[in-house]
Amino acid sequence: MRIDFRINGIDRSLQLSGDEMLVNVIRERLGLRGTKVGCGNGECGACTVHVDGEAVCSCLYPAHRVAGRSVTTIEGLAPENALSPVQAAFVRHGAVQCGFCTGGMIMSASALLAQNAKPSEAEISHALAGNICRCTGYRQIIDAVLDASGQGNADSERP
Amino acid sequence: MSLHEVGKRRHQAGIEMRVRGGAVYTHDIALPGMLFGAILRSPHPHAKILSIDTSAARALRGVHAVITSKDFGDRRYYQLGGSYSDRPPLANEKVRYWGEEVAAVAAETLAVAEQACALISVEYEALAPVFAPDDALGAQAPEIHGRENAPGGKNLAIRFSANYGDVDGAVAQAAFVLEDEFRHGIVAPSCLETNGTVASYDAGQGKLDLWTATQAPYFIRKEVAQAVGLDEKQVRIRSVEVGGGFGGKSKICEQEALAAMLSIKAKRPVKITLNRREEFVSGKTDHAKRVRIRTAVAEDGRILNRNVSVQIDNGAYTAYAPTYVGASRQRTTCLYRVETAHYDCDLVYTNKVPGGQYRGMGAPHTIWAIESHMDEIASRLKRDPLEYRIAQANQPGDVTPLKWRISTCGLTECLEAAGRMIGWDEKRKSSAPLRGVGVASMIHPSGGVIYQEGNFANTRIELTAEGRVIVHTQTADTGTWQNTTLAQVAAEALGVGTDDVFVSHMDTEDAPPDLGSAASRVTFVTGNATLRAGENLKAKILSALSRQWNCGVEDIAIESGVARHIYEPNRTADLLEIARLAGPLDAEGYFSTPGERPDPKTGEGNYAATYVFGAQAAEVEVDRNTGRITVLRMAVAQDVGRALNPTAVEGQIYGGVLQGIGMALQEEMVFEEGRPVNASFLDYAVPRIGSAPKIDIALVETDDPLGPYGAKAGAEPTINATIAAIANAVFHATGIRFKELPMSPDRVLSALEAKDGNKPALKPWKRVYNAEVATVRAMYPNVVFPALRSVGTKFARLPKKSKQPRTLVPGNANELVEFLSNKNTKSRIVAGGTDIFVGLKQGIYDLDQLVDVSRLPELQGISFAENDLSTLRIGAAMTLDKIARNELVARFFPSLASCISLIATPQIRRVATIAGDLCQEKRCWFFRSAFPCYKLGGPTCPCFAVLGDNRHHSINGAKRCAAPNPSDLAPLLSSLSACAVVVGRSGKRSIPIEELYLWSGLTKVGSDEVIEAIEIPLAPNTTASFEKFGLRQGDFAEASVAVRAQWANDSVSTLRIFAGAVSPLPLRAAKAEALLTGTRLEPDAVAEAAATIVEGSLPLEDNQYKVPLLINLTKQALLAARRRN
Repeated sequence: MRIDFRINGIDRSLQLSGDEMLVNVIRERLGLRGTKVGCGNGECGACTVHVDGEAVCSCLYPAHRVAGRSVTTIEGLAPENALSPVQAAFVRHGAVQCGFCTGGMIMSASALLAQNAKPSEAEISHALAGNICRCTGYRQIIDAVLDASGQGNADSERP
Repeated sequence: MSLHEVGKRRHQAGIEMRVRGGAVYTHDIALPGMLFGAILRSPHPHAKILSIDTSAARALRGVHAVITSKDFGDRRYYQLGGSYSDRPPLANEKVRYWGEEVAAVAAETLAVAEQACALISVEYEALAPVFAPDDALGAQAPEIHGRENAPGGKNLAIRFSANYGDVDGAVAQAAFVLEDEFRHGIVAPSCLETNGTVASYDAGQGKLDLWTATQAPYFIRKEVAQAVGLDEKQVRIRSVEVGGGFGGKSKICEQEALAAMLSIKAKRPVKITLNRREEFVSGKTDHAKRVRIRTAVAEDGRILNRNVSVQIDNGAYTAYAPTYVGASRQRTTCLYRVETAHYDCDLVYTNKVPGGQYRGMGAPHTIWAIESHMDEIASRLKRDPLEYRIAQANQPGDVTPLKWRISTCGLTECLEAAGRMIGWDEKRKSSAPLRGVGVASMIHPSGGVIYQEGNFANTRIELTAEGRVIVHTQTADTGTWQNTTLAQVAAEALGVGTDDVFVSHMDTEDAPPDLGSAASRVTFVTGNATLRAGENLKAKILSALSRQWNCGVEDIAIESGVARHIYEPNRTADLLEIARLAGPLDAEGYFSTPGERPDPKTGEGNYAATYVFGAQAAEVEVDRNTGRITVLRMAVAQDVGRALNPTAVEGQIYGGVLQGIGMALQEEMVFEEGRPVNASFLDYAVPRIGSAPKIDIALVETDDPLGPYGAKAGAEPTINATIAAIANAVFHATGIRFKELPMSPDRVLSALEAKDGNKPALKPWKRVYNAEVATVRAMYPNVVFPALRSVGTKFARLPKKSKQPRTLVPGNANELVEFLSNKNTKSRIVAGGTDIFVGLKQGIYDLDQLVDVSRLPELQGISFAENDLSTLRIGAAMTLDKIARNELVARFFPSLASCISLIATPQIRRVATIAGDLCQEKRCWFFRSAFPCYKLGGPTCPCFAVLGDNRHHSINGAKRCAAPNPSDLAPLLSSLSACAVVVGRSGKRSIPIEELYLWSGLTKVGSDEVIEAIEIPLAPNTTASFEKFGLRQGDFAEASVAVRAQWANDSVSTLRIFAGAVSPLPLRAAKAEALLTGTRLEPDAVAEAAATIVEGSLPLEDNQYKVPLLINLTKQALLAARRRN
């Protein structure tokens, strides 16, 4: 089947097989490899992208369902050479180690802030529960999301 | 010394690229003409290979290479050499664990490669396997390797024993001797990036390039070269980003040599990336251990002798376990002032996944055993555990029984700081129930002589013609920020800014030899080499400039990237200018650890250049109702020598502690017939964000004289004391000393119940069928299971793995019914797909087509039913997230919204649908791992849950299958008297949710029908509640209870109570409903009635905790319904 959709602001038309998952289209066909596959079963969240602004796991999302919809990946979150507020806060707080989960984590956090401008720590924990990070222990990620929502504590900002 | 770059908080090198998604990992490499590799794995834990026929696979279109052990000849991985080289790259003659690599294929696509693997025909002769180390040492045990690989005796890779000092004399002086035994299972590093390799062989040049997710290019090059028969010089490891290591990628994994051989054979680049399941099944895990400790203690508390006996499960092959034996020896003999010691250890082969390396090299568990035991000693001495530890702490100048000479040592300071930060004195005295604090210490070598090569590093630093400073290292930054800290060291040595320095890692052609990023060596060993390279380069720059400026080198200073003539301030040169004046320059630095190689017989010797110390304190809370332990706060104090970059060290502490929390509370691989049954992030659950406690940190700087700028190792040992601190806090909170890990809620709740002597009345006779179930179960071990397993499963009808159903997308309801009406095609409806798509990969379905109804208008919407304003209609394909956020739902059915918020994760809730939750497949990890069980293979097959690990299974209502119903909405919607509206060719019908199920995962909805909507009647004057307990954040329920109470005046007129996840069908608590109808739900009446919900239960061995859990949740749900009135 052929579908039309928008990805990172660009309109695309693609011929798909019915069982193709969105992550495959994003990574292999469009070459946007910032979206990662950590498990392929919707358990780790490394493949998180936005479909019409909602954070979903692209590894379990059939590609044909994005017909007529708008997809954003980590590469499309900010204009080239700029960082989104969440990306900038991750840099400020050192909320990245190996970086493999980072794109998905930032996509989930960005979707949260779009719906809830000032989330509490509990709300952040609830919203990021689908994203596994094995390296950071999450503390600097929580600090970064609080900071990106304007609730930053200057003392916790590093470096 | 005044430092400008070292000790400062600097951003992670390359972090902007990472947050933009631009960092390139092995998974992301795509080369022109690249093929995809797949691996055929053993379906037996122990078997002889009689023959392998690859002809059908080779004939498949798109296949370019098929390899078997023949292609590797008799070559084996080198690892530690000698008898430790026991593993061929592909199994020859024998397979020794389930999942072992037997053959590999390279093809145009991964799907073709997998299809080709399925076409390889391997004839096996099954051999008796052995899984437990004690059994493997028994006289009857099968021999896993020949004697040349088991020099200690049958199945014994190593048997070690040594005394340190006058052991007998020490014991004779003891006031008392205390004994303990601790055990733990296998944990796994679980990097987010699975192992993967891209190999590209250029036959013309005879050169093999590898992009591979590794911590140690040095060892990968060496191993791959000898495995495929090339010279090391022909192999180049290339630079790439690495998505986590934690030891799991510190030595050869299995896909590197296979990708290389496939590329050589196919003459094209080949990429192999393991999937998450393969990563658990065959990847390098940690080792399981049993630790026995006997300590002789003097009256004044001195440790006269510590006698430790360790048994380590090696799995089927030896990786670096011999050093693991050493690591465990080091901690047991050297932590605290031990006067004499004994250590013995067996490293035992079993038919399980080979053990590898994981952060701490066994130290977190070993130290858990020692430190739990230290608490017991303090208790026996009636001394405060913190004060006692401070009195026994290692001190600078000490020599340990293993002849370690302790130089810098901040252990006392660390213990004091950890105690202060956690509020020890106050919290230790407080008698808040089920809250506690505990403390533990750790020791860790920094710059030990761990390798046959010793422990050396070379670093090359280059000043390019463009004025850039590039550090070339063969180590690999797997996320530890090592490239950042190495840049800081180089910058400091050169007098430039950290931002001026780029670190190029991993490339074996570009950088001089270095043993890699493992064993806590980069900061200390590579850091020292980098410091020297920086100094050497600086000397070259000064010398060149002095010639240009016609002055002495001492007349020139370099600061902040600018060289300046001290006496002629106008004479300056920035890096570009220096490069112009002095030309491009480079210099190397070499460092080799001054540690001593340990005596091979005893392990004695001053093994490391210096030693790291630290202490952690934990504050925990234990939930009496569920057994859940919550770590409220951790206090971590670590002697890091000097923090080269405090942000980096803090990040390592946060991360190490959380991994330790995973080990303490939830992580453990579960095996059945040697095969992992929890090989996913759902069932092998690493901590999610909700587990992250507040962590206070004190970095203790002891300025080590041998460390680069005083630094010692920082990252790896942050995990060492975590389990122990938590376990000691749990003891303080509960009085229970757990001697097995993890301290998961099921174990904790069982222990709390046993301590309180609770015995719920199960009255199993209340369910008539139980007599038959109990009889069959009694016969299961000796008669039923062996017969069904050996004979019955031969007739199993298992789904074909390679079959992919086609997807149909109907445009309207009529088309849908038409799609479903074809009796000759096996269809399944998919809406969200979050369960079915996973099930297809698990190999549990045999389907021709999927019918995607996610966008059918008839299945959408939330509104009051037409002509009936007392019923809310929710379209079957409405996502859980949309339902939870709907205003009508929030207003009339808040319990539905709160139930949904407890299901899975946010991403899943945005796609999963209400009907999908109700119709999801049964959840049993044997079934989901495609074991040939009754439900998957048919009536001749056994249930694996009767004898296997059945902690998740039904306690009530099980028959031949014990899988519980995993749906949270099933009990909730049953309690609300909701119905499913079902449409098919013959029209519409309505099924009450409480009657929807025939079995777990099996509903009364016909194969040509579809659920169109869920209808929930409004009921006046009602309150409702839902309680769920899952073992981890985002997990399925172990038990859930939904209550709806209708009130007349102040008392309950009708009451509906349904439980989920404890039985194959939603369980109605009819007796409790009857007992409480007409009451006000007073606590005493509630407690009495709740206890009746388990009547008729017949729990299995591991799920007995669900009995008190269910009673407690029922109580909580009833009281919540009362409060809401």
